[in-house]
Amino acid sequence: MKTEMTAQEAGGRISSPASWLKTWKKIGPAYLFLLPKLLLFGLFTVLPVGWTFLLSFQEYEIFDSHWIGLRNYAEAFRNEIFTGALWNTFRYTIVTVPLSILTALIIASLVFPLGHRSQTFFRASFYLPVVTSTVIVAMVWRWIFNYRFGLLNHVVGIFGMQPVDWLGQTDLALWSLMLMNVLIPPGSGILLYLAAMGSVNPSLFEAARIDGASAFQIWRKITVPLLKPTTFYLLILSMIGAFQVFTEIVMMTGGGPGNATETVVHVIYKTGFRDFEYGMASAQSVILFIIIMFIAVFQYKMLGDEGVERHKKRRNK
Amino acid sequence: MKMWKWSKLSTALLGVALFVSACGGGDNNDPAAGKSSSTNEPGATEKAWTGEIVVWDGPRWSDDKENKYHWIENKKAEFEKLHPGVTIKIVQTPWAEMEDKLNVSIAGGAWPDLVYNVSNRMASIKNIESGIVEPIDEFYTADELADFYPNALKEYEYEGKHYGVPVSTRVHSLLLNLEIFKQKGVEPPVDGKWTYDEFLEKMKQLTGGGVHGFSTYIMPSYYEAWPFLMMDGGRPLSDDLTQYTFDSPEAISGLQKFLDLKFVHEVALPDMGMSNVGDTYQAFAAQDKRLMAVQPWNSWAIASSQKEPYAMDLMVAEYPTGDSGKSISMGDVLGWVMLKQKDEGKKQMAMEFVKFLTTTEEIFITAKNYGVFPSRISSGEQRPFEANPQMERAQQIAENAMMVPRHTNWQKIDEAIQKELQLAVNGTKTAEQALKDARSQVESLLK
Amino acid sequence: MSYAQRGRLGRMLLYIPLVGLALIALFPLYWVFVTSLQLPSYQNEEMESPVSYVESVPPKLYPYGITEYWSQWDKKRDAEKLGDEQAASFHAEKMQEVVAKTFTTYSYLFKSTDVLKWLWNTTYIAILGTFGTVLFDTMAGYVLAKKQFPGRMLVFWLIIATMMIPDQVTLVPSFMIVRLLDLFDTHWAVILPGLAGAFGVFLMRQFMIAVPSELLEAAKIDGAGEWRTFRTIVIPMAAPAMAALGIFSFVGLWNSFLWPIIVINDSKMLTLTAGLKTLQDANLSSFKLLMTGAAVAAVPIMIYFLLFQRYFVKGLTVGGVKE
Repeated sequence: MKTEMTAQEAGGRISSPASWLKTWKKIGPAYLFLLPKLLLFGLFTVLPVGWTFLLSFQEYEIFDSHWIGLRNYAEAFRNEIFTGALWNTFRYTIVTVPLSILTALIIASLVFPLGHRSQTFFRASFYLPVVTSTVIVAMVWRWIFNYRFGLLNHVVGIFGMQPVDWLGQTDLALWSLMLMNVLIPPGSGILLYLAAMGSVNPSLFEAARIDGASAFQIWRKITVPLLKPTTFYLLILSMIGAFQVFTEIVMMTGGGPGNATETVVHVIYKTGFRDFEYGMASAQSVILFIIIMFIAVFQYKMLGDEGVERHKKRRNK
Repeated sequence: MKMWKWSKLSTALLGVALFVSACGGGDNNDPAAGKSSSTNEPGATEKAWTGEIVVWDGPRWSDDKENKYHWIENKKAEFEKLHPGVTIKIVQTPWAEMEDKLNVSIAGGAWPDLVYNVSNRMASIKNIESGIVEPIDEFYTADELADFYPNALKEYEYEGKHYGVPVSTRVHSLLLNLEIFKQKGVEPPVDGKWTYDEFLEKMKQLTGGGVHGFSTYIMPSYYEAWPFLMMDGGRPLSDDLTQYTFDSPEAISGLQKFLDLKFVHEVALPDMGMSNVGDTYQAFAAQDKRLMAVQPWNSWAIASSQKEPYAMDLMVAEYPTGDSGKSISMGDVLGWVMLKQKDEGKKQMAMEFVKFLTTTEEIFITAKNYGVFPSRISSGEQRPFEANPQMERAQQIAENAMMVPRHTNWQKIDEAIQKELQLAVNGTKTAEQALKDARSQVESLLK
Repeated sequence: MSYAQRGRLGRMLLYIPLVGLALIALFPLYWVFVTSLQLPSYQNEEMESPVSYVESVPPKLYPYGITEYWSQWDKKRDAEKLGDEQAASFHAEKMQEVVAKTFTTYSYLFKSTDVLKWLWNTTYIAILGTFGTVLFDTMAGYVLAKKQFPGRMLVFWLIIATMMIPDQVTLVPSFMIVRLLDLFDTHWAVILPGLAGAFGVFLMRQFMIAVPSELLEAAKIDGAGEWRTFRTIVIPMAAPAMAALGIFSFVGLWNSFLWPIIVINDSKMLTLTAGLKTLQDANLSSFKLLMTGAAVAAVPIMIYFLLFQRYFVKGLTVGGVKE
C-alpha cells in the first residue's frame, strides 16, 4: 500500500504547466528507462498473450473461426482429462516447488560461506548441468527408473525388495516424476541465491556476530529475510515452471499410464497442436493462468515487497 | 484513486489495441503464403508457370558425403533444369518437429506447397474437411492410380477423392532374435506363420535365465500390440466407423490373451506396456542386452537391426493367428501432400514435381535405400528387397495390412483406447473393464 | 561469516554431502561427453562379433576406446619386440581404427554438416540477445523497484501475468507477428522475441528491491543525472544479478530449438540445437550422434559461464565497499 500512496502523490500534482514539468522531471526518466523493454515486451509477449485470451472465446477453424462466448470454458471444465490433469499438476506443484526452493536455499547457504575457490567450484558444478537440455536429463532418468537395468531398482534390490515398475504403475508414476524433480539439484535457484547473498552488506553479519548471535540465528533472522525478494522470484518462477511441466512428461510417460501423469500443458499441447483446437487450448491456458495468478497474488501478499519494507524499517530504527 | 483510473484507462487502451491487432492477425490467412511470384492468370496453361515451390522434407538415407538430403536435392536440381524459371526451395525439417512446425505455419497462415507426410496426420479427414489439403485426382488418370496398392491409396481417400500421393508403407511384424532361438533350441515358426497356441508354447520355451519371450509398449498412435487384440476377430470400430466395437467378446478375448502373456504365463517382461520406443528397442537389439526373443516392430526396425551396430541374426514373422484364423497386421502410409494453392499454374507445377518424385523408379529407390515398402505395384514388382528375404516377407505382410481407421477424431479415439489398454497392461483394470470403459469416451467422439 | 572457527571435522562433514550432490548433479553432463566419445560397433581379435559400447546399460563410465587403444598399443609393442612386423602393423591399424571410431560423430559433424555455421549463428544471436536482455531488463527492473510513477504496479503485474500463459499457445500469434513485421527467415525473428521475455525484468526488479534506497538517494544529492546514477551506482551494484540474468538468458537462447525451427526455413541460417535436429533420423536417432551434438552445444555455454563467473564475486566487493 505504501508504494501506491507515493505513486498517487506523483500522479496527483498535474495542475499547472510548471508542475507538469516538475512531475515529468520526477517520473519521466522512469518511463524512458522502461520504454525499450516495454516496446519489445508489448509486441512479442503482450500481443500473443492477448491473442490467446481473445481466441479462448472462439471456435478455431483454419479458414473460419467464430465467436462462441464461454463455451470453450464450460467444455474445458466438463472434460475429465483436463480437470484430472489440473489436479495432477496441482499435486506436482505443491510437492516439488517448496522442496526445490528449500534445497536451493540450503545448498546456497552452505556454499556461500566457503572460500572463493570452493564457492566457484560448487556454483559451477550445480549450475552447469542446467545447460544440458531436459531431453538428455530425461534420458538419464529413464535409465535410473528402468525396470531391469535401472539404478533405483538396483538400490531396491540391495535391500532385498522386489523391483518396482516406477513409471508403469498407476499410483506411483506421478510420484516418480516428483522424485525426479526433487532429486535434480535446482541449479538456477542456487545460482540466484548465491548472487543475492553476494550483494548483502557483510557488515550486517558482523554486527550480529558482535551482538553474540549464533550462526543459525544470523541465518534465520538476517540472511533469510533479506533473501525474501529472491525467494519470491524463485517461488513464482518455480511455480510457473511446475504448473507448466511438459518436456518431462513427453519424455518420461507421455501422460500415462492411463491419465495418471497427464498435466495441463501436455493436454493444452495436444488440444492445440494435435487436434488443431486452438480456441479450446487457449481457454485451457487461460484457466491455468487464472489459477497461477491467484496463487501468485496470494504469495505476493505473504512474501512480497511489503515484507521487505517492514523488515528494513525495523532494522533502521 | 487516481492510480486506479490510470490503470483502468491503460487496460482499456491495451484491450482495444489487442482486439484490433488480433482481428487483423487472426484473419490473415493468406493461402498463397510462399513467396511465389506468379505471373500468369489462372487457366492460362500454355505458358508454363514460373516461381518458387516450397517443399518440406526430413533427413533420409546418406550418400557417400554423408548428406541425408541428397536424394531430394538431386531431384530438385534435375527438375529445375527441366523447367527453367521454376525454383524448388527445400526446407530441411526435422521429422520430430515437422508436425509442430506445420501446425504453427498453417495456423499462422504461411504453409509450404508440398510436405512429406509423416504418420499420415496431414491427410487426416479433419484437415481435408478444413480445406487445407488439395486433392490430386485431376492430375492422375485412373490407370495411373491403379498402379498403387489399394490399401495404400485408400489411406489418402476421402469421399471419392485422393488427398496425397502415397510413397511408402510401413507395417508391423514380429521380429525374432534367432540367436536366442538357437541357444534355447527352439524352432522358429515355418514361413513365419504360427497360431497363438504355438506362439505361446515357443514363448514359454524361450523364457528363462534372464531372457523373456516377448515384450512391447502401449502408447497413443503406436499399434504394435493391436494385432493381438484383433486376432480373435475384434475390431476397434464398425466398418462404417459409427460404432465402437472394441468391447466385443472377440476383442476382450484377444486382449486377454495378450495380458496372459504377462500375468498368467509370465513370458513377457513385468514392465511390459509403459516403456518407450528407444528403451524397448535397446533391450531387444543392443549387443550387450538382447534379452528379448520376440518383439513386434514397425518396418524400420528390420533394416536397422540387420545393420551395424546391431548386426542381428533375425527373422520376420507374422503375428500369431487367433480364433479368426487370420494373421492381422496394422500399418500406415507415408507420402507427398500438397497444401492449399491459390494459383492454378503453380498447383500444376507443384504436382508435376510430386509426380517427378514418385515415379516407379524413385519409389523403388526410396524403398530399397530407406527400408520402407513401396506404394506402387510396379515398384514392388522390381523387388527392391530381392537380396533380403526378411524384408520381402515383411513386404508381403504390408501388402495385406490393415490401415489405421480414418475418422475425423481418430487421434482422440486412439488416445482414449490406448490409455485404457495401458491400465489393463499394468494390472489396474481387467481386459473387459478397460475395453468397456473406453466405450463412453469413444462414443462421444464418434458423434 | 566463515566456517574457519568451526574446526576441521565440521568442515569435512559439510564438504562430503556437498561434493556428493555436486557429483550427482554433474553426472548427466559427464555422461553426455563420455557417450559422445564412446566406441561404437568395434571388434578386436578376441571378439566373436562386433560390440557397441555406446548404448550399454548401466552406462560405461569412461570412453572404452582408451582401454582398447592401450591394449592394442601393448600388443603392438610385444609384437615389435618379437620382430613380428605383420602383427605390429595389424595392431597399429587397430589403434587407428579405435581413434577414428571414437571420434566418428565429431568428424561427421564438422566435416559433413553446417555445424560451424550453426555455431556462429547461435553465438551471435545469443550474444546480441543476451546483451539486449540484460541492458533493457536492468533498466526496467531498476525503475520498477526504485521509482514511483503511475502504472508501476500495473506493469509489474502485467509482466508476471504474461509468464503464466504457456509458450505452446503463444507460438501461433508470435509467428503471425514475425510474419507481419516481415522478419520470417531472418535472425531477428529469433533475437527480438528473445528480448521480450518477462522473467528478466522480474528478476532484476526483485534484486533491486533488496538494494538499500539510501545509496541511490545519496547519489541524487550529489547531483548525478539519472543515467549517470544508473551507470555508476546501479549497474555495479546489480552486477551479480546481471551476471545471473546474463547466464540464464544466454542458456535459454542457446538451447531453444522449436522456435528457430518454426521461423527459419533456410538450413544455413539455423541455430545449433535446431540444426542438429535436422540430422536426426526418423525412427531411431543415433545415441552417439545425439550426445555429440549435445556436447558440441554444451562446450561454448560452459566456457561462457566460466568467463562470467567472476562477475558474481565482483558484485560482492563493490556492494561491500560502497556502503
